[in-house]
Amino acid sequence: MTIQVLNPGLQTTIQATPRIGMRHLGVPASGAADPLSMALANRLVGNDLLAPALEVLLAGMSFRAEVMMQIAITGATASCTVNGETAQLYATLQLAPEDEVHIGPAEKGARSYVAFAGGLLADDTLGSRSTYLPAGFAGFEGRALQKGDQLNLAEADHTVEMLQTPAEFRPPMTDSWTIRAGRASETGLLQDADQLFAARFTIGNRSDRMGLRLEGAKFDIRSDGRMPSAPVFPGTIQCPEDGELFVLAVDAGTTGGYPRVAKVARLDLHVLGQLRPGNQLMLIERTDADAESELREKQQYWNAWLPGVERII
Amino acid sequence: MLSAGDDLISISVANPREAQDLALRLRESQAYLEVVAGLDSVVVQFDIASKDRNEMEKQIAEVMALPGSTRATAQPVVEIPVCYGGEAGPDLADVCEQLGVTQEEFIALHSGREYQVDLVGFTPGFAYIGGLDKQLNVSRRQEPRVCVPAGSVGIAGGMTGLYALQGPGGWPLIGRTSFILFDAAADNPFVLVPGSKVVFVPVAAM
Repeated sequence: MTIQVLNPGLQTTIQATPRIGMRHLGVPASGAADPLSMALANRLVGNDLLAPALEVLLAGMSFRAEVMMQIAITGATASCTVNGETAQLYATLQLAPEDEVHIGPAEKGARSYVAFAGGLLADDTLGSRSTYLPAGFAGFEGRALQKGDQLNLAEADHTVEMLQTPAEFRPPMTDSWTIRAGRASETGLLQDADQLFAARFTIGNRSDRMGLRLEGAKFDIRSDGRMPSAPVFPGTIQCPEDGELFVLAVDAGTTGGYPRVAKVARLDLHVLGQLRPGNQLMLIERTDADAESELREKQQYWNAWLPGVERII
Repeated sequence: MLSAGDDLISISVANPREAQDLALRLRESQAYLEVVAGLDSVVVQFDIASKDRNEMEKQIAEVMALPGSTRATAQPVVEIPVCYGGEAGPDLADVCEQLGVTQEEFIALHSGREYQVDLVGFTPGFAYIGGLDKQLNVSRRQEPRVCVPAGSVGIAGGMTGLYALQGPGGWPLIGRTSFILFDAAADNPFVLVPGSKVVFVPVAAM
């Protein structure tokens, strides 16, 4: 039960569950940058929502199926083909031996997800199979896939239905995003905190699974660069002395010394995985209480198609 | 106790020892997703979908009201070889100029004492080591580096930081060590833990 990587693209990694409860050892979460899209792919092939799947960055990738298998592709808007014939996103696809699957470059959004019925077999390190590139562990040999890699699949222990994701459960992809966020521990150091929720940011080129640069707005901050290092989390927005914000993502470090001026609300963290350089972003302010009640509403909505979505968003 | 975001509660404490002690005691409960110590704070992350913020704050206050532990365990001293300056420590010259010391004076001050690890965080194995000579207090770089080599030794805010992994970083770099700080394949991947005692031993080359 294998696939062979024909073209690995820019960066394709195996992602699965995040690492939880290890941040005090300096071990970040990892897992899918957009776990909602990964869960939607796993749903279409009957897997656990967090079963190991491929995360494909921007440029696409291609592989060959060595045996019969069922897969599903979700996430970024991209032209995908099987043996040159157009293949649908958000649908269970039946592959025959020797079929070649090509995930095209992302047109909108940043990451595609490919799930395989049964799930990919992957290395488990510190309690998860999610690749953590900075330390080179878990997933496939702790690294991004390369041409010629052979990946093994677990045999599906369930009958795979041919499904399509209902239209209302396909997250829209765009070039202009809004994300809900709230104030954080050092918001008060900003000369003008309201600017956080009025600025139009552009996602910078230096953006990856560790964090995203928010360009296009400079902030005045009262900071001498000597703040004692403090805990940070995916979604924490920091402001160094140069006044250009960055938002931390799934592979980000666990402590940091730049003022924490805002935090993306839990319910919109998955969106960070689809922001790409050049995209526009606005932050919408939410109180803790509103962020909590809107999370419950969002979970309730998604539960209709993704039972167990509380583990995802 | 303050909100630090929709699912975060931040607790201010006096110093790294208190932060480690409180974090350790909070971690005895399974109620939290993460309990992370900083140098003068502890942040708790909790599941806002199933837990109430007020209830969480009440539980934390109860733990804080209990007396802290005063355990001091004897730790062996770990010797960390450091190649100071040059390519290994590209910011050493700037740092010395800023501080008004020669590189020789800097190395003597930095390597001439025993330290204790205050915090392991940032990336797996990154050690924050306090107790730096007061003369050596510099700030972080205004713009963080995109890529700091593994083993880099930086200083900032009165601390030494050991970069276990290659990656982004904002501390001025004064040297580099060949000492392996994190090994995912080892039975115990984390060589240094809060409380570990270390000394820096100057070496001529990596």
